[in-house]
Amino acid sequence: MSATALRPGMPAAAASARPRRPRQVLRTLVSVLVVLVIAASFWGVDLSWSSIAQAPASLLHIAHLMFGPPNWSQLPEALGATMLSVAMAWFGTVLGIVISFPLSLLATRGLLPGVVRWPVRAIFAVLRAVPEVVIAVLMLSVTGLTAFTGALAIAIGSIGTLGKWGFETFEAVDRGAIEAATAAGGSRVQVMRWGVWPAAQPEVLAFWLYRFEVSVRASAILGLIGAGGIGKMLVDNTQFRVWDTVGTLLIVVVVVTMIIDQLSGMVRQRIITGRWQLPLAARRGRRGSRGAGGLGGPADAAGPGAGGPGSGTGVEPNAGSDAGAAGILSETSAD
Amino acid sequence: MTRPAPVASTGPGAGQGGGRDAVRAASPLRPVRPRTRWKSLVAVLVIAGITAWAAVTIQVDPADLVRNGGNAVNTLIQLVQPDYTFFPQTLDALGQTVQMAVIGTAIGVALSLPLSFLASRATNPDATSYRVVRFVMNVIRAVPDLLYASIFVTAIGVGALSGIVALVLFNLGIMVKLISEALDGVDRGGQEAALAAGGTWLKADRAAMLPEISPAFLSQTIYVLELNIRASTVLGLVGAGGLGMLIDKVRTFYEYHYLSLVIFEILALVIALDLLSSYVRGRIVR
Repeated sequence: MSATALRPGMPAAAASARPRRPRQVLRTLVSVLVVLVIAASFWGVDLSWSSIAQAPASLLHIAHLMFGPPNWSQLPEALGATMLSVAMAWFGTVLGIVISFPLSLLATRGLLPGVVRWPVRAIFAVLRAVPEVVIAVLMLSVTGLTAFTGALAIAIGSIGTLGKWGFETFEAVDRGAIEAATAAGGSRVQVMRWGVWPAAQPEVLAFWLYRFEVSVRASAILGLIGAGGIGKMLVDNTQFRVWDTVGTLLIVVVVVTMIIDQLSGMVRQRIITGRWQLPLAARRGRRGSRGAGGLGGPADAAGPGAGGPGSGTGVEPNAGSDAGAAGILSETSAD
Repeated sequence: MTRPAPVASTGPGAGQGGGRDAVRAASPLRPVRPRTRWKSLVAVLVIAGITAWAAVTIQVDPADLVRNGGNAVNTLIQLVQPDYTFFPQTLDALGQTVQMAVIGTAIGVALSLPLSFLASRATNPDATSYRVVRFVMNVIRAVPDLLYASIFVTAIGVGALSGIVALVLFNLGIMVKLISEALDGVDRGGQEAALAAGGTWLKADRAAMLPEISPAFLSQTIYVLELNIRASTVLGLVGAGGLGMLIDKVRTFYEYHYLSLVIFEILALVIALDLLSSYVRGRIVR
């Protein structure tokens, strides 16, 4: 990814004397435009400047109220609410997997004709573009404010990403096994089962788990709009300004999210590499052997979004919306 | 599980190793299936157990869905008939969403650059600041953006400012992680040369490491802008400005004709940004 390497025409120019700086009209134009957009946003946004001046002080004050010290007596209740959120995330993810898996098979190139493939892909694209919270808002107004509704919203929200990662992984599978299965007279289903699935399985399992991590965050958010769990408890306490309880809740959210990420990361690592290792430990242990491409961590291997297994480093600016998935994947990966 | 292997194979891949040994022992023609079936069984049981627990905890009730099915159909019918006359009234909120995203990205990205250099072993020789920055960033990243927004709305007031502060924290978490990892992977030859020539770490990082990651940095900036647009459309649900506030307003009155227009706007915005972002990122790579 180095900027200086491989620039055709460079050596020829350098041979004469010092290379002339290429003219970068476009670059200048774009920079000016970007600065203008930022300036316009600052200028146009509806902010009361007095509140900005007060904000740091009031934030510090509230941080002091929250963490000095947090109200630990609410801890059991907070843990209970967290369990509800986690349950919501898990059930929603499982439901999403159950729905998206067959759909991603339908969307895989080479299995079914385009007539089937494109509509399914369009559904995935739309579902990915709608924020989960908006889906939840729609669901909540239909089925009411329950944790089950939250789980349904998570399920629908995860179909888009899961489906997309699914068919991309299936398509990235090495053709050899598929050809062999076809040559041996396998039906479509058999080709899928014996030619595609064994190769795709580790990655698919890994991103299912990764999606669960995302859902855990989503479930906390869904609570904010009424689906119950830790988010609801947090919003209730915030509204009544019970800051010391809010502090406890924040700590619980952070700790639980991190623990789940670590556990899930560990299982993903096991699935991809066959070794049990905590992601935190992996980071330290393999620092030396890390090359330019591999940024370590199981999430990298689990990044099917970025065109091809194992290439989803998240930093690789892969063209296409796929990079979004890759970026998100490493957003919460091995740390 | 008995293993016919004379060689005591331990550790990962033991199952396969056992299988290979068994091939030699049993039949020269067909490989014996490695015995991993019980492992899958355990995994499936564990997953089924957790799912059952989750279902009980959240009180899954499919009958509830059937009961409310008519409701859902009505809502859907209204949703597919957006009321376009509402459009002028959404423009302010739409603009605010974009403004929040742009400002949040600008501030967040600017702050994240120095922090990323502190958060990478490759550019920061000081173990203490490295650990502190990484830890703080991990904590920041663990809290979802809407949680930040809901706290800030109560702490510093309803409106765009809370949203912007929430977005800045959200951006810091993502950018610092991505960029510090990019720094970890960069070829450090230039930096070594700069250090050997007597430069300070600051100078070496600035002269040798910064140019190496600047394409990645730019590309991630655009990616983060895309995420911010997505996030800022919904931040308003908790009162932090933008389209979300409008969603909150119309959903309280069950005005689905309006709601669907807002959702269409979000879709259009997100997809437009998605296209722009992939185009620009594609150009940066090349």
